[in-house]
Amino acid sequence: MKLSHICKTFYPDSPKEIKALKDINLSFEKGEFTTLSGESGSGKTTLLNIIGGLDAATSGKIFFEGEEISAYSEEKMAKLRLNHIGFIFQAYNLIQVLTVRENIGFIMRLLKFDEVAINARILELASILQIEDILDKLPSELSGGQQQRVAVARAVASRPKLILADEPTANLDSKNSERLMQMLRTLNEKEQVTVIFASHDRYVLEQSKRVIVLSDGAVVEDH
Amino acid sequence: MYKIAQHLAWLSIWRRKTRSLMVIMMIGLSLGGLLGLQGLYDGMISHLINTTIRSDSGEISVYAKEYRLQKSLDYRLLAISKYEEVFSKIEGIDAYSIRLEQEGLIATAHKSLGAILKGIYLDQEQNFGQLSSFTIQGEYSFGKENTGSLIGSALAKKLNLSLGSRVIFTAQDASGEINSISFRITGILKTGNPSIDDSSVFVSIEQMSKFLNLQQSATQLALRVKDSKQIRIIQKELQTLFGDVDVLRWDELYPLLIQMQELINIFNLASYAIVFIVAALGIFGVMLVSVLERMREFSIMLAIGTPYKMVRDQILLEASFLGFIGYMAGAFLGWLLLWYMSTVGIDMRSFEAGLELYGYSAVMYANMHLYYFVQAFFAVFFATLLSVIWPLLKLKKIKPIQIIQGKTV
Ligand SMILES: Nc1ncnc2c1ncn2[C@@H]1O[C@H](COP(=O)(O)OP(=O)(O)O)[C@@H](O)[C@H]1O
Ligand SMILES: [Mg+2]
Repeated sequence: MKLSHICKTFYPDSPKEIKALKDINLSFEKGEFTTLSGESGSGKTTLLNIIGGLDAATSGKIFFEGEEISAYSEEKMAKLRLNHIGFIFQAYNLIQVLTVRENIGFIMRLLKFDEVAINARILELASILQIEDILDKLPSELSGGQQQRVAVARAVASRPKLILADEPTANLDSKNSERLMQMLRTLNEKEQVTVIFASHDRYVLEQSKRVIVLSDGAVVEDH
Repeated sequence: MYKIAQHLAWLSIWRRKTRSLMVIMMIGLSLGGLLGLQGLYDGMISHLINTTIRSDSGEISVYAKEYRLQKSLDYRLLAISKYEEVFSKIEGIDAYSIRLEQEGLIATAHKSLGAILKGIYLDQEQNFGQLSSFTIQGEYSFGKENTGSLIGSALAKKLNLSLGSRVIFTAQDASGEINSISFRITGILKTGNPSIDDSSVFVSIEQMSKFLNLQQSATQLALRVKDSKQIRIIQKELQTLFGDVDVLRWDELYPLLIQMQELINIFNLASYAIVFIVAALGIFGVMLVSVLERMREFSIMLAIGTPYKMVRDQILLEASFLGFIGYMAGAFLGWLLLWYMSTVGIDMRSFEAGLELYGYSAVMYANMHLYYFVQAFFAVFFATLLSVIWPLLKLKKIKPIQIIQGKTV
């Protein structure tokens, strides 16, 4: 994954113009466990959305496995997300009418995985994320920590190449944040899945192998 | 993929039971009521047409040219047996009635009024339209000497007549002489056809012929046809056979009935528009609220790569399901209403005074046709489709990520 000269301007050419990202050049390797850090308003979410194809850059190019995806159509982008990218949002990630089991299986079913494989994968992830005993509950019956672990399970279930997580711990207490990050780290090591966070949470930063610090839309640190 | 959409749609309906039930009831009740009304109006107009055909016009009537304008015996049908012979030869003719009528003055000791005296054969009329079933007082008979009379109920009331009363009828005979005839009332008829009830008196055709100094004459020959699809064919056939006479269908003789029928059709159409709007608004409201309420959920689904098509199918299926169950409920309710109103009927006696004027009888029966239900199905179907277009357009327009971040709703 490579970003080249990415700029994002909101309300261009108007008095309200905001330059959220200024000439970002970054590349991510397979198996990375990286956090985009920085103060609130520094551009973390904007950058993550552009990486995930949920928002378009104003200028610059994005390459995914060597292919330029910045000019993809909406439909092609949706397909790419479905096939290769897992998302974890800050909260309310789950489909309310589906059980935990069905939520985890959702993307695999969209991708027409074999039912036996789906069920095996659900059990495997449930064990890693310690959600075996809530598989038949509905999202509304779960705590925030449980919901986020289910969201992680759904995001990684189909073994996407990239997981993007925007402030996944923002609504969790410290104990649950730590637990979630440990589990994500385990998955990252076990399955070699690439994970990119946008977060300034202590627990996220502690677990990260690489931290990229943004300030006012530009990369100021990368270590 | 479709299966997932189906599953989601089903769960969404099931998990929002109260709201789903409300839409279903809204569609069901309005549709059921409408089907009931449609059948009732149809039944009323058919009844009216039926009464008119039975008590007067038949499906086809034959008159001498000019008679209907001049109402004069100069324009009468002669050599009736010749016509009767033709009628008996035409397969499609079920029954016929020979009538000889003349306008004149009917008088009691206290009052006199313009009226029409009609000479008929009782057995012929019975065969023709079961005239006896309209008898509300006395009996369907002209008495032992064949000199009695049956009088329209409204006319009897106006003249304050009761069974056994004696009246005098005065009119011109065939040669222009003014004659009078006197007879007793043996029965009172109420047909629902105002032209009979308000102004007609029936006597035996033999009496009438004697009174008018005529033989083998009639002013009207009314026919009943076995199959209503044959009316026009038989009309044409008779016209060619008889040549220079008027052979007219009931709808040519009573154009008002056709106008009423058309009016009822327009009314029914307007009612459909209302149901259409009610159903559309019902589903629209529910779908809009339930889509807006789940905007975040749909956004998440779209963000993680769910094709728009699947979300669209889910919403379409939800709406179709609600529409279909609503339709089934409405069709069942409508069928129940129509079944009751077409077999048991509605007793209108309490409203009779008002309705009498228009010729309705005491018990009204509804019609029931398959096409009511087909029409209703399409009305609900299109209402359903229409109601999801806006929510779907809204969903298509949004940027999922903005909803997820709570920037816009
Ligand atoms: N959809 C948007 N429309 C307008 N301005 C936006 C939008 N998203 C983000 N911004 C602006 O861009 C800047 C970066 O925002 P964001 O990427 O959300 O920062 P972070 O996630 O680091 O807090 C902020 O100034 C924010 O106000
Ligand atoms: Mg942010």
